[in-house]
Amino acid sequence: MTPIPPLPPVPPSLASTHDRARLPDRDGWAADESGVRIHWEVYGEGEPTIVLLPSTPIVHSRQWKGQVPYLARHFRVITYDGRGNGRSDRPTEPAAYDGSRIVGDIGRVLDATGTGHAVLVGLCGDGVWPAFRFAAASPDRVEGIVAFAVGVPRLAPPHPWRVQWSFEDELPTDEGWAKVNAHYWRRDYAGFARFFFAAITTEPHSTKVIEDAAAWAVEGSVDAMLADAATGFDLDRDGVEAVVRAVRSPILVVHGSEDHCQPPVRARILAELTGATLVEVEGADHMIPGRHPVLANLLIRDFVRSLRRPTP
Amino acid sequence: MASHPAAIPHDAARARHPDASGTVVRDGVRIVWDRYEPADAGPATPTVVLAPTWSIVHARLWKAQIPYLARHFRVVTWDGRGNGRSDRPADAAAYDHAAFAADGLSVLDATSTERAILVGLSAGASWSLLLAAEHPDRVQGVVFIAPALPVGRLPRTSDSPPSGFDVERESYEGWDLYNRHAWRLAYARFVAHFFAQCFTEPHSTKQIEDCVGWACETDAETLIRTQDAGRLLDHASLAAVTRAVRCPTLVIHGTDDDIVEHAVGVGLAELLGCPLLTIEGGGHIPPARDPVRVNLAIRTFVESVREGQLA
Repeated sequence: MTPIPPLPPVPPSLASTHDRARLPDRDGWAADESGVRIHWEVYGEGEPTIVLLPSTPIVHSRQWKGQVPYLARHFRVITYDGRGNGRSDRPTEPAAYDGSRIVGDIGRVLDATGTGHAVLVGLCGDGVWPAFRFAAASPDRVEGIVAFAVGVPRLAPPHPWRVQWSFEDELPTDEGWAKVNAHYWRRDYAGFARFFFAAITTEPHSTKVIEDAAAWAVEGSVDAMLADAATGFDLDRDGVEAVVRAVRSPILVVHGSEDHCQPPVRARILAELTGATLVEVEGADHMIPGRHPVLANLLIRDFVRSLRRPTP
Repeated sequence: MASHPAAIPHDAARARHPDASGTVVRDGVRIVWDRYEPADAGPATPTVVLAPTWSIVHARLWKAQIPYLARHFRVVTWDGRGNGRSDRPADAAAYDHAAFAADGLSVLDATSTERAILVGLSAGASWSLLLAAEHPDRVQGVVFIAPALPVGRLPRTSDSPPSGFDVERESYEGWDLYNRHAWRLAYARFVAHFFAQCFTEPHSTKQIEDCVGWACETDAETLIRTQDAGRLLDHASLAAVTRAVRCPTLVIHGTDDDIVEHAVGVGLAELLGCPLLTIEGGGHIPPARDPVRVNLAIRTFVESVREGQLA
């Protein structure tokens, strides 16, 4: 039997408990068939269960710190650190970050926490797309989806600045979006994290949101990020459409009109394809749950309550 | 199902709205109060009064306390005279600390609050202290946050530099803006400077913008009246007033407070013989900048007061 490798050290922002508004009631690990361990936390005991999906591996479960204390008063809330960050294992081979593994973690966390079905909440490509894939494959386990800053690939072209530079090649510059580059990441991952979160959190009064997110990124692993970036995306536009059309649960789409990471048109197309309710937040950029927690929390609460409203 | 695009304005979502609001009139001045309470509030539920501070802001200053505290306690706030929905009387005498204390008593009556725990920030420490000293039957405890009281050195805002408030200058920069003439000439500049000094912590741009906005809901003439009224307790009365306080108290003070230095909080805690919660790196307005810590401290204090009375 192979010995179990030691867990990664607990990142400082997850270790400090004295200034957290709400601590978990229960926590534990789920593991996949290859032994990668995923750390989960459960808060509260209301109905139904909401899973706040990690935007992994760039940040970890603290990305939802503006949601957990509020939602846990009304519902049962599960967060987990995605593979590659937080207290979860940080494999460095690309295969570990294949879409099926990331999507599989949702089911593994539901199983480990004794959760039959739940509402899934995700942000951007790392949260929203796995939620749709999981819901398409396991319709009886998903009561609804809240998709913030819709990151569903292929629905519309990315922002031009996102594809301006090669990720793999050495670049003549480190300026701006040229920082989204494997060589630059190896040289100055913290510099990338600060740039990236500042570039997608452009509203006034965002300094804390940017500093938090950059710190969570640095607590993660550049090797995990590189491995994740090396996994391909295997679907074309028709394939993506087939997945999102297969989702039968109610969907709420929330997107900022000034989102510099994901084009707002992706949210509109997703809403059209699925019949989802679309909320466009005027003037908001990408990080709506962090930057507008009251709005995000009330939207989630009202959506979740609407799922259980008795039909007249 | 059709798609329903909906634009939501940024400030549409307030975390908690009052359960009741009202107006109490004292000496012809209308004071507007709000009351919040938990769903399961009963006769034993303590009431926390978040008192107004200087009229440069109004009750929205407590926006990060209300939603949390109102889940555990009844919460009462009021807009201090001179800002918010309350009147702005035209004579300076209407703004002295006794007037604010008397407003507090009227609000307790109007909200059917027999007894309450008071929370006073900065200038609000004066009237909270007065109420506790003069109405021990109504005040069960007081939390003083960054108290602007003449303990040791005078707070900067009492008159800084001495008599500088009335000096006419060619131009006004920095703390010279704390000046009657500067307020009339350049109120917005003074306000921006003042709140930049209040929030010495990083990530305070929203707090500064909020406070500047609330300050712009009143005007220079009103603030001049508050200054002329002598809204803070003086040295001579402080000792007697603190000696008269019998209820449990707590002082919260930041180490980087540039308006009322941390030593004032230390001194007040010594005078009252009460615990001091020091916020490392904290500025002048911890309720806005460190809400989780302040909320937990208030809640713990209220529960200890309640247990002390049950015991």
